[in-house]
Amino acid sequence: MLKILVCVKQVPDVDLVKMDPETGNLIRTGVPTLTNPLDLNALEAAVQVKERYGGVITLITMGPPTAESTLREGLAVGGDNAILITGRPFGGADTLSTSYTIVKAAEMKGSFDLIFCGKESLDGATGQMASQLAERFDAALISCCFSIDKISGGKIRATRTLETGREIVEATLPCLITVEKDNFYGRLPSLKAYLASKTAEITMYSENDIDGLDHEKIGVPGSGTIVPRIYPPELPEPGQIIRTGSSRSDVGTLLALLTEKGSI
Amino acid sequence: MQKSGYKNMWVYIEHDGQTATPVGLELCCEIRKLCDAAGDRLYAVILGDLCETEVEKVKGCGIDGLIFVSGTGYEFFNTDAWANAFAVLSRKYKPSAIFVGGTINGRDFAPRFAVQLDTGCTSDAMELAYDPETGDIQFIEPAVGGKIMAVITVPVMRPQIGTIRPGTFRYAPTGAKENIEVIHEEISYDPDAIRCRHIDFLPDEADPEMDIAHADCIVCVGNGLKDSEHLERYRMLAKLLNGKLGCTRPLYDRGILPYKLQIGQSGVMVKTKLYISFGVSGAVNHTAGVDAEVFVAVDRNPDAQIFRYCDYGIVGDMDEICDEMIEQLQAGKA
Repeated sequence: MLKILVCVKQVPDVDLVKMDPETGNLIRTGVPTLTNPLDLNALEAAVQVKERYGGVITLITMGPPTAESTLREGLAVGGDNAILITGRPFGGADTLSTSYTIVKAAEMKGSFDLIFCGKESLDGATGQMASQLAERFDAALISCCFSIDKISGGKIRATRTLETGREIVEATLPCLITVEKDNFYGRLPSLKAYLASKTAEITMYSENDIDGLDHEKIGVPGSGTIVPRIYPPELPEPGQIIRTGSSRSDVGTLLALLTEKGSI
Repeated sequence: MQKSGYKNMWVYIEHDGQTATPVGLELCCEIRKLCDAAGDRLYAVILGDLCETEVEKVKGCGIDGLIFVSGTGYEFFNTDAWANAFAVLSRKYKPSAIFVGGTINGRDFAPRFAVQLDTGCTSDAMELAYDPETGDIQFIEPAVGGKIMAVITVPVMRPQIGTIRPGTFRYAPTGAKENIEVIHEEISYDPDAIRCRHIDFLPDEADPEMDIAHADCIVCVGNGLKDSEHLERYRMLAKLLNGKLGCTRPLYDRGILPYKLQIGQSGVMVKTKLYISFGVSGAVNHTAGVDAEVFVAVDRNPDAQIFRYCDYGIVGDMDEICDEMIEQLQAGKA
């Protein structure tokens, strides 16, 4: 029976986040949230492993209390239990302190054979969590996994998608895996699982519930990086907009300009 | 941590024994400027054997020193030996910053040794600046889907670690310095302790349609595309212009086109003569990946940010404009 951990994150819909041009602050109020799309591919990979080899899937996330809905979404498609790490002291964490916090909280449930997480998040998009979690779990790392080919005898064989081809690797367990979408598109929940997920119990951890948690290593104090300043991207002056009254003559004008420039 | 005890900047040179990956050279050229601003020396770090002509190329990027690492564990790339080597080297020499190309391998091991060293790691900076007041590097990058630019720093910990995407900076070698310091270090990693082992490599079959980085013309479709049934006309337009089809990230996310056609900072950086976008909003993450002599944008939203980047723009329905272009080009050729 494999013990599987899947790390998920609730993210704001970045397409709808705006920046206040006066204050330079991000306007998040009223912006809908969603489960980070690539995390759903990671969860799907975990569910496929569970179906093939047997196992128990624990979902874990760190975030505001609303992140509970992301865990319930995961419980509906194959997760067996879930952990929500939430509390003000965790806020403002970068990947260094987030990876520390997640590993300390996961250890409360024992050890894991396989850990899955998304390649990167929609909002932070550092893509660093996988590698840093692997280090803190003292685990092997298989990133960009295209297919999971075999798990047996404490080893996993998998195919990765690299820049110029596919690599076949063999790793010892515990192993952390990030996946490509190709073979791991998420699934819809069954009605029964969906209903069960609504009332499933979720383990909640605050900063005082996690054994041996060094409070200097979480949230902002534990972070290696800070963001001292944000500003709107500098935009060049707009180009020449062709407005001649009809698509036909707009295109005609454009093609004439491109021909003149030698572009076509 | 006393950050004043940390000095000089390092660039990791990724290679396969025969060739150095371009990003290492690009980084040496860029970090040279940062070192000059900071009064630091620039070292290139090479793990395992790299052929002499390529080492000369690295030297040509204005470095002050080279650190060669030999020992066991470097026959094939693995995050265990790589992260260990950098952690050992960094503890010994205390560099102020370490830069690693944001390839798949680079992104796998750099954040890992950052944890071993308990320090901050940033990814995907598009600009780098040195702040003389704090002595910190400013890693400047688009955030929140390109809506904002964020300045990121590592204010207390050292070394400052950054992975940088290939193609972000230019390879513009300034020439080799006269006295380049050469350091040899033996750092062996027990091959039996490597947790993820390389078994085999199956190179992709060469598909010219997937090789868009240097295409003369690119027709790029964005999230404005309704569905994959509407895609064919853009392929046809690309063909008529002797160009290639590309896309933005949402189309890859929607499963419509493969990752290799995704243009932008987290995909392919393209250099082209003519770039025509259809239904692309113009997020910085995408436009940062486009280096075009002539930039044309077509979108239904007159306020779309893409029109700030274009030389010529047409406001209208993307499918209709594309069809019109095909018709007029075909008529012109007939």
